[in-house]
Amino acid sequence: MNSPTPLSPRRHPRRLRRPLLGLLSLALAGQAFTADITLRVFAGGTAQRPDLLRHILDDYEAAHPGIRVEIQTGAATSELQRKYLSTVLNASDPSLDALQIDIVSPAQFAAAGWLEPLDSYFGAERDAYFASFSPVYQKVNRYRDQWVAIPFTTDALFLYYRTDLLAKYNLPVPTTWEELAQTAKAIVDGEHNAQLRGLSIQGAPIEGAVCTFLLPYWSQGREFLDANGRLTLDRSAALRSFALWRDLLARNILPANTAETKTGDTINDFAAGQLVFALNWGFAWTVFDQAPGTKVKGQVGVARIPRVAGGEHVTSLGGWQWSVSAFSRHKPETVALIRYLGSPEVELRLAREAGFLPSRPAAYTDPAYLAQLPWLAEAGPVILSGRSRPITPRYAEVSETLRNTTSAVLGGSLAPEEGVTQIEDRLRRVLR
Amino acid sequence: MSALATTKASATRARRTLGWLLLAPAVVLLGAVVAYPVGRLLYASLHQLNLVDPAATRFVGLANYAELFADPNFWHATGVTLRLALVTIPGAMLLGLVLALAADSDSRWRWAVRLALLLPWALPPGFCGMMFAWFFNSDYGVVNDLLVRLGQTPRPFLVAPGPAFFAVSLASIWKASSFVALILLAGLQTIPAELVEVARLEGATRWQRFRHVTLPLLWPSILVALIFRSIAALQAFDIPYSMTQGGPGRSNETLAILTNTLVTEFLDIGYGSALATLLLGLSLVLSVPYLRGLYRSHD
Repeated sequence: MNSPTPLSPRRHPRRLRRPLLGLLSLALAGQAFTADITLRVFAGGTAQRPDLLRHILDDYEAAHPGIRVEIQTGAATSELQRKYLSTVLNASDPSLDALQIDIVSPAQFAAAGWLEPLDSYFGAERDAYFASFSPVYQKVNRYRDQWVAIPFTTDALFLYYRTDLLAKYNLPVPTTWEELAQTAKAIVDGEHNAQLRGLSIQGAPIEGAVCTFLLPYWSQGREFLDANGRLTLDRSAALRSFALWRDLLARNILPANTAETKTGDTINDFAAGQLVFALNWGFAWTVFDQAPGTKVKGQVGVARIPRVAGGEHVTSLGGWQWSVSAFSRHKPETVALIRYLGSPEVELRLAREAGFLPSRPAAYTDPAYLAQLPWLAEAGPVILSGRSRPITPRYAEVSETLRNTTSAVLGGSLAPEEGVTQIEDRLRRVLR
Repeated sequence: MSALATTKASATRARRTLGWLLLAPAVVLLGAVVAYPVGRLLYASLHQLNLVDPAATRFVGLANYAELFADPNFWHATGVTLRLALVTIPGAMLLGLVLALAADSDSRWRWAVRLALLLPWALPPGFCGMMFAWFFNSDYGVVNDLLVRLGQTPRPFLVAPGPAFFAVSLASIWKASSFVALILLAGLQTIPAELVEVARLEGATRWQRFRHVTLPLLWPSILVALIFRSIAALQAFDIPYSMTQGGPGRSNETLAILTNTLVTEFLDIGYGSALATLLLGLSLVLSVPYLRGLYRSHD
């Protein structure tokens, strides 16, 4: 007769119950501790440095076992990213948890119900946390009294100039557009270099063209929208804005193909030593100073954007914000992640490794930052007093109208008067 | 007798059931990918539905259509679309026919023509648009390089409405002609060689052989190519968008680009859906005469 083996579960169920239950409990507990949550973040195009973000996220993953973060990159320009995200979010797609969006997008995305309000996740710390950012970011990242995004990087338009060329001709840094035109002409005429041009701005129908229109317009002390989001376009100021650029085109200070010029084209031309002046974003500094192949290393100055005669110096702010998709299935974890991405330590790292500007005013007097970006001391007040493009849920219409009209006026296919009328006709209906 | 009738009726029922069962997968598939989206489109077009203001969503009947007909942007985009269609349809048909005849010839270079036919067809339209945008770029474009070599001044083609329209038309014709040529080549290969040979023996010239033998027999293929080309031309998006985004300004904005702007940029789903519905209707209406001609030629 075969005697039953002592560990046969069928014959001795009670003896095994405890160890089995123990094993099961351990397995469940282990599951709870090691359950991987994968978050997916939309990180934009290469100019937003997804490579650096990957390193930052690697550190986050190491400090947060069980959380994995995947990066999804997207289109190169702000408006294409906005279109892509609109398609994804309109479909209530939960595949993206965190979204890196342009400074102009929070209002539109929040109005569409695509962004998770962040207030409840911050509790009592909320007010102190958001108060640490500069006022303009406090304004753009709130929608109907709720915080919908956290600043990640700041950016602003600057005037870049060739220090060597201005020194060679003993010319000061221009403070008005007319001074800039005369300085550029003197240098281009003196250099006898067929490749050298006076100034490059963004005239292609991209977000940069919106700023191209607004800079001289704002410089005349005019506003585009009132506090209620209604259009307050000053026709004569808008005409003078277009007239300024058309004048610089007619005098060959701006190249004939300005209506085709995108942000990257200006950066490439300036880095190749083919421009005396360039209007571009703060991140371009790192390219001019550090990118392989730059021909202007050590010869680049940064200044406030010139003003119109009798006007004021203004700049347009850019930068990227982190928000949480309303369709995310891991909202608390995603809020924790974007809070880390908006933290002062990440901000400093972004400044150190990519030259990205901080969004907290305190950073502009912080020796740790000034050691990395010495020009911040001078640029700080300019950045902190910069303006955001119009804040409205209908920004897409504003952007589309301004960029296309500006590009058409710069290309000569639309007269400045027609351009201004077009802006009025199209936007009066939606911004009322 | 009645038993036989019952058996027959039962067999008919079984055949019908089998027929429906065999059709079911296609019906379900078409329902999912055609009927449902078109239904949703029609439904959205009858509503005020702007994602920027979802709370204001409401049924508005035909108001979106009425607003469209009063919208100058709609009429401008319609004009651009029709102009582009009028240029690119004949252009692509003519070039496609020439390419198809070359690919069907007895020349020893026939293989090269056939290979070259596949390239534009295989390229994604957006890629094709970007490629032509580079050709016409003011600074780096090959077209301006040629102009400079010929002693001319370079021109910013894509920032002036007329030259930009020309560049977009050229790219569209180049891209579409290979598809037309492939359809026509297939048609040419079905024409019995004996017919052409008999005509040749009877003294018909090359033109007469083409005019009176090849062309009539190729007509069904031409109609098929024409239907596809016309519908695609009315929906022109990829190439004009990737070359100029409908610009400069809005000068070359087609109906499809306007629809895209309204829906994906302005998030005005209701208004954009009304425009998309009109575009769909226009494509269907224009297909009818071609389809009639096709069936007539089959008869």
